[in-house]
Amino acid sequence: MVVVRRRWFQAPWEFREAFLVTAMVIVAGFFVEYLGAGGGIPLLHLPVNAIALVIFALMVLGAGLAFRNSAVVQWLGGIPLGLALIFAIAVLSLIGGIVPQGDAVAGSLSAMLRINQIFSSWPFFLTVLFFLANLGLGLSWKLFPFSMKNLQFILFHAGFWLALSCGIFGSTDLQRFVVPIEIGKANNLGYSMNSDTPQQLPFSIFLQNFSLEEYPPQLLLYDPQNDKLLVERSQAIIQVRKGVTASWKGVEVEVVDYLSYALRGSDGEPQAADRKAGMPFAKVRISSGGAPFEAWISTGSPMLKPEAADLGGILLIMVPGSPKSFNSAVSIQGENGEQKTATLGVNQPLSFSGWKLYQMGYDEKMGKWSQLSLIEVIRDPWLPAVYLGLFMIMAGNILFFWNGIKHSEVA
Amino acid sequence: MVIDFNTAAILAMVCWTIGSLLDLLSRKSAALKLPAFLIAFGGTMVMVAYIAIYWSFLGRPPLRTLGETRLWYAALIPLAGFLVEYRWKISWLKYYCMALAGFFLVINLLHPEVFDKTLMPALQSPWFIPHVVVYLVGYVLLAASSVAALHNVSLQLRSKKNDAGETAAHYLALLGFVLLTFGLIFGALWAKEAWGHYWTWDPKETWAFLSWLAYLGYLHAFRYKIDRGKLQWYLALSFIVLLVCWFGVNYLPSAQNSVHTYTQS
Ligand code: HEM
Repeated sequence: MVVVRRRWFQAPWEFREAFLVTAMVIVAGFFVEYLGAGGGIPLLHLPVNAIALVIFALMVLGAGLAFRNSAVVQWLGGIPLGLALIFAIAVLSLIGGIVPQGDAVAGSLSAMLRINQIFSSWPFFLTVLFFLANLGLGLSWKLFPFSMKNLQFILFHAGFWLALSCGIFGSTDLQRFVVPIEIGKANNLGYSMNSDTPQQLPFSIFLQNFSLEEYPPQLLLYDPQNDKLLVERSQAIIQVRKGVTASWKGVEVEVVDYLSYALRGSDGEPQAADRKAGMPFAKVRISSGGAPFEAWISTGSPMLKPEAADLGGILLIMVPGSPKSFNSAVSIQGENGEQKTATLGVNQPLSFSGWKLYQMGYDEKMGKWSQLSLIEVIRDPWLPAVYLGLFMIMAGNILFFWNGIKHSEVA
Repeated sequence: MVIDFNTAAILAMVCWTIGSLLDLLSRKSAALKLPAFLIAFGGTMVMVAYIAIYWSFLGRPPLRTLGETRLWYAALIPLAGFLVEYRWKISWLKYYCMALAGFFLVINLLHPEVFDKTLMPALQSPWFIPHVVVYLVGYVLLAASSVAALHNVSLQLRSKKNDAGETAAHYLALLGFVLLTFGLIFGALWAKEAWGHYWTWDPKETWAFLSWLAYLGYLHAFRYKIDRGKLQWYLALSFIVLLVCWFGVNYLPSAQNSVHTYTQS
C-alpha cells in the first residue's frame, strides 16, 4: 500500500506548518531581544497602547471577514496553529516557572535573552500577538453572522481575548507604590522598587492608629547551650490559655494563670496593663522529676526582656503568637477635597478615586508595638476590561459544564 | 481529638483493601456486591468523618498545608471512582482511585505534621474556601481522568479497545477543566483583594496556568478529531504536570520568592 504523505507547505496546511511557524516566531523574538541586549518590549502607556490594541483588533477582525475563504487565513485562525501557540505559551511559561524571575547578572546570556523576565520579553509578546490573531480570526467567523448556538464559544474565546490582551497591553499602566506612615502623621509620597525617587501621589494618607492582634503565644522548650528549639514532630503547637497543660519527655506543664497584657508591678507581681504597654504573662506550674514549682514567664517586648523558667539547663519559654490580623485606621484627603475615613486590613482594601489602598505591612521588629504602617496604593485603569473578560470566561464555563453534562446523557 | 490520624488512616486503608477484594470476588458471587461497596465506601466515610473532627479541633478548615490537602484528596478521589461506577458502569476505576488515596495517606503517615491552628491574615478571606475546594475537586477529577487514561493505554498495548473507558476519561477531563478554570479565576479575583494584583506570574500561578493549558490543549485536540485512542497517552501524561503542581513547585529554584510557600511542610 502506498501512503500518500502531504509534503511541507502543500495545501491544506496543518500541524507541521503550525509548529514550524510558531518556532520561528519564538526564535525571532529571542533574536530581537538579543539585538536589544535584553531590553524587553517597549513600554507604551495610555492612550497609545489602547489605540494600538484597537487597531490590532480591527485588523484581525477585518482580515478574518475579508479573507475568510483564503486557505492561509483559515489556517491562521484554525485549531492546529492554536494548539502550536498554546504549546509555545506553555513552553515559555515553563521557562518562567523554572528559572527564577528577577534580576540576573547584566550581560549574561540569561539577561541578554531576557529569560529572567520572560513575561515581558519579545518572544513571549510575539507569541501572545500570534495567539490573539489566531483566536481573533476564529472569533470573527463565529461572531458574524451571530448565532445563539455559538454563545459558549464566543464567551470563552472573546473573554480570553479581552483578559489576555488587556492584561498584557495594560501592564505598563499599572502603578503600585508603598506609602510608609507613622502613627499621627500623614504622607503623600509613594516608593517603588524600580526607582529611588518617591512619587507624589494625588492624595495624602493620615494614619490615626495601627493595631495588631496576635494568636495566643506558644510554649516551647529551648536548649540555650545548642541554641535549639526542642520541637517534636507531630506534636500539636501549644497555645497558651489558662488551664492548658502540656507534657514533653518527663516535663509536665500547666498554665495556672494567663494575662494577655501585663507588666510587673512595684511588688514584682505581673498585673494587667493597657494594650499598648503590656505583654503576655503566664504563670506555669512545672513538674519535672523533683518537687513541682510555679513561675511567671513572658514573651518580652521591644522594651523588656522575655522571662523564661529554668528546668535545669533547659528553658521553658513563651514565644509571641503569629499575627492574626493587623489594621490601620486612616483618613485620606484627595487633591480636590474628597475625603474618606476607614480602617484598612489584609483582604480589606479600600477604593479611593481610582486607586486601591492595601494594608501591606508594618515594622516587624516591633510587632504589635509597631508605630509604622506600610500601605500599598495601586492604580490599574485596565482592570474593568480584564474583569469583563474573566466574567465572560466564567459564564462560558457554566454553559460548558451544563452542555458537557447534557452531552453525556446522549453518549 | 476523638480519633487520631494514624488510626483513621489505617482504618480507611483496611476498609478499602477488604472492599476491593470482596468486589473482585463478587464477580463470582453477586451477593458480595453490596457488602463490598459498603465496606469500601465506609473507608471513605472514615476519612470524611476524620476531616470533620479535625476541622472542629483546629477551629479553621484544614486546607492550609499540603498535608491537610492530602486528607481531602484521600477522601474525594475514591468518591470520584464510586461516582464513575454509578454513572458510567465502569467498575475498575475505583480500585486505582482507592490505591491513589492510600498513597496520599501513606505520605501523611510518613511525614506527620506539627498541628498549627493559626491562619495567616491573607488566608482569612471569603475566597479561601471556594478557591481551594474548587481546585481540590478539579484535581481529583483530573487525577481520575489520568488514571482512566492510563488504564486505556495499557489496554491498547494489549490491543484491546475500551470505548466506555475513553468516554469516562474524556468527561472527567472536561469537568476537571471547568473546575480548574473556576479555580484559576477565583484565585485571580482573590489575589487582587489580598495582594493587590490579579496575576503576578508567581511560580505557583505559573504552574496552575500550565496545567490549565495542558487540558485546554487536550480539549482542542479532541475537537479537531485527533484519534481518541492517541489522546489517552496525552491524558495519562498530563498527570505529571498535576504532580508538579501538587508537590513539585516548592522544590523548584523559582519558588524562592513565591507568595504561596505557606503551603510548605
Ligand atoms: C489558541 C487559540 C484558540 C483557537 C484557535 C480555538 C479554537 C476553537 C475551536 C475552533 C473550537 C471548536 C468550536 C466548535 O466546534 O464550536 C474551540 C472550542 C473550545 N475552546 Fe477554543 N480556541 C482557542 C483558545 C481557547 C481558549 C484560550 C479557551 C479558554 C478560555 C478556549 C476554550 C474552548 C472551549 C472550552 C471549547 C469547547 C471544547 C469542546 O466543546 O470540547 N479556547 N476552540
